[in-house]
Amino acid sequence: MKLKNTLIKILVPILSVICSFLVGAIMITFIGGNPADAYKFLFRGAFGSTANIGETIVKSVPLIFTGLAATFAYKCGVFNLGAEGQFTMGAVTSIWISTVVTGITGIPLLILSLTGGIIAGGIWGAIPGILKITRGLNEIIVSIMLNYVAVLFMGYLYSSPLREGSVPQTAAVAVKLGRIMNGTRVHAGIIIALIIAVGIYYFLFFTAGGFKLRAVGLNQTAARFNGYSVKKFILLSFIISGAIAGLGGSVELHGTQFRLMSGFGAGYGFDGVAIALIGQLNPIGTVLVAYLFAVLRAGATTMQVGSGMPTSVVDIIQALIIVFAVAGSAFTNLPKTRQFLSNMLSKQNRKEKEEWKQC
Amino acid sequence: MEAVLNVTFFQELLLSTIRMATPILIVALAELYSERAGQVNIGLDGIMAFGALVGFLTSYITGSPYLGILAGAVGGLLINMVYAFCTITLGAEQIVYGMAINIFAPALASFIYKIYFGISSTLAQATLMKVMPIPFLSKIPVLGPVLFNHTIIVYLTYLLVPFTYLFFTKTKPGLNYRAVGEYPKAAESLGINVVRQKYIASMICGALAGIGGAYLTTCYISTYSDGVVSGRGFIALSAVIFGRWMPGGVLLAALLFGFTDALQLRFQVMSSATPYQLLAMIPYLSTLFVLAFLGIKKAGPKANGKPYFREER
Repeated sequence: MKLKNTLIKILVPILSVICSFLVGAIMITFIGGNPADAYKFLFRGAFGSTANIGETIVKSVPLIFTGLAATFAYKCGVFNLGAEGQFTMGAVTSIWISTVVTGITGIPLLILSLTGGIIAGGIWGAIPGILKITRGLNEIIVSIMLNYVAVLFMGYLYSSPLREGSVPQTAAVAVKLGRIMNGTRVHAGIIIALIIAVGIYYFLFFTAGGFKLRAVGLNQTAARFNGYSVKKFILLSFIISGAIAGLGGSVELHGTQFRLMSGFGAGYGFDGVAIALIGQLNPIGTVLVAYLFAVLRAGATTMQVGSGMPTSVVDIIQALIIVFAVAGSAFTNLPKTRQFLSNMLSKQNRKEKEEWKQC
Repeated sequence: MEAVLNVTFFQELLLSTIRMATPILIVALAELYSERAGQVNIGLDGIMAFGALVGFLTSYITGSPYLGILAGAVGGLLINMVYAFCTITLGAEQIVYGMAINIFAPALASFIYKIYFGISSTLAQATLMKVMPIPFLSKIPVLGPVLFNHTIIVYLTYLLVPFTYLFFTKTKPGLNYRAVGEYPKAAESLGINVVRQKYIASMICGALAGIGGAYLTTCYISTYSDGVVSGRGFIALSAVIFGRWMPGGVLLAALLFGFTDALQLRFQVMSSATPYQLLAMIPYLSTLFVLAFLGIKKAGPKANGKPYFREER
């Protein structure tokens, strides 16, 4: 039974991806394009050269962070739709530290800056958590309102007090994350992201705290009767989720963008939620799906140039994956489907038993 | 300051409040109809985006903003059928699926826009709906132009509030409708078709939210751009909570949020020296503060957000 569940959890996302590409192909044909051609350019854009492969990895880094942030919160049964705001506030704090702090440079400054990002993200994530446990407010609305506030605040910073030059953007950060692959822009951020992913995986599935956190996520009443402090776990999961997203913003700033400007971090929060859900709320699955999304994005421009299909085809494919994946998970959880699947399994068992008897 | 804070200022502020509250009100009512049947739909923002696109395109092609509104309703309804099928028939978690709609619908809208107008296009403009002053009433000094000089959509939206109130409290279908959101098992035992009622609720919700989106592009601004909705769906969602799931309360909440929106726009016009980003935060921050200080822990339909399986005991 356990094996079967795992199999379904792996099969559903894979089938969703295949279905989405098929529907995407139909749409491309419908608007007068050649799907095979478009997909060829898409994958060439993602894997065509060392630089392209590197670019795909670079694009996956922020998505891994926001995906993990969503996964972590959801494991405790709460929705953190505010990853975009936490991501932004992390980057904003890093820029601020980089502007204000003088006297230290190099690695210590980098560590200080990343820590600042973690703390800022954690604080921004704590707000919906605190309002949820003290006032019973819906965390979805609070975290989304905070997204808009954070993005507007960032806009204020890069167009007025921290603006550099005629274009609305900030100065570049003083210290950058090191490159780790020759001939590409891949930076040490990917290593940080993977360490965080493995760390979360270990925490959730191999520690007592992780077990309790998942218990709260599955059934709050049962968790309360077991003496777990539900409110503490909810708040904690919000803070950690926010901290992960904040670190993501900081890493993206130090590794890829170097300065804040319009559109920094836009959409990463919702994409993170999509990635977490498609990845079946498993940290490792999250990393894989984040990489898939990065492949789609890295290839989108090449596809637009090569085959004339607009990049929004890729957005549609991404959106379809989430639509199919969630519907697929729900379908496999339906009482009728469960019955059908277990019937099939028991029939097979019976058959095997009969065969065994005949021998 | 005296020159600014005169009668015209307040008149314009109120006029703008009513205009800005309209899309929030209609979408909040959409959510009210949905949640009264136990269907929490957080995909409102996405449905609005799709409604805005469909409404804009129809209005652009046909030249009639009225057809645009109609098309917005149909578009919203169709998109919400995806949500309805997956949450009602497949029993998917409503919040999760609402989120999926929030990602899917704007992507589809953006895709259709780019296909129709090409990758690099100049900003297309559609005609805006004309205001329809109500004879005599609009001639009342001060209040007349504020209350009775709007598009027909505004009047209909505000009329929907008393209608919804009467429907849910005084009519049998309305009470049956609410029973589905409160206790579907009991409703089913009384011969109410719960699944059908939930589908109907989702259809109403989709159509109204689609109209709310189309309002933005046919009555408010004459262009479509990604992000035109800018969180209004979520503000509407909080208007339902703040309005205690009752039409009157929802109206007050929508007016309050419309007022903050109108106020920040006035401020932007008045003091161009203040960075507009700080002013644009006002509606979002006030939503937060209002919810934090006046929100309530538990209210609303009892079976809200729970999937319903007829076979389950």
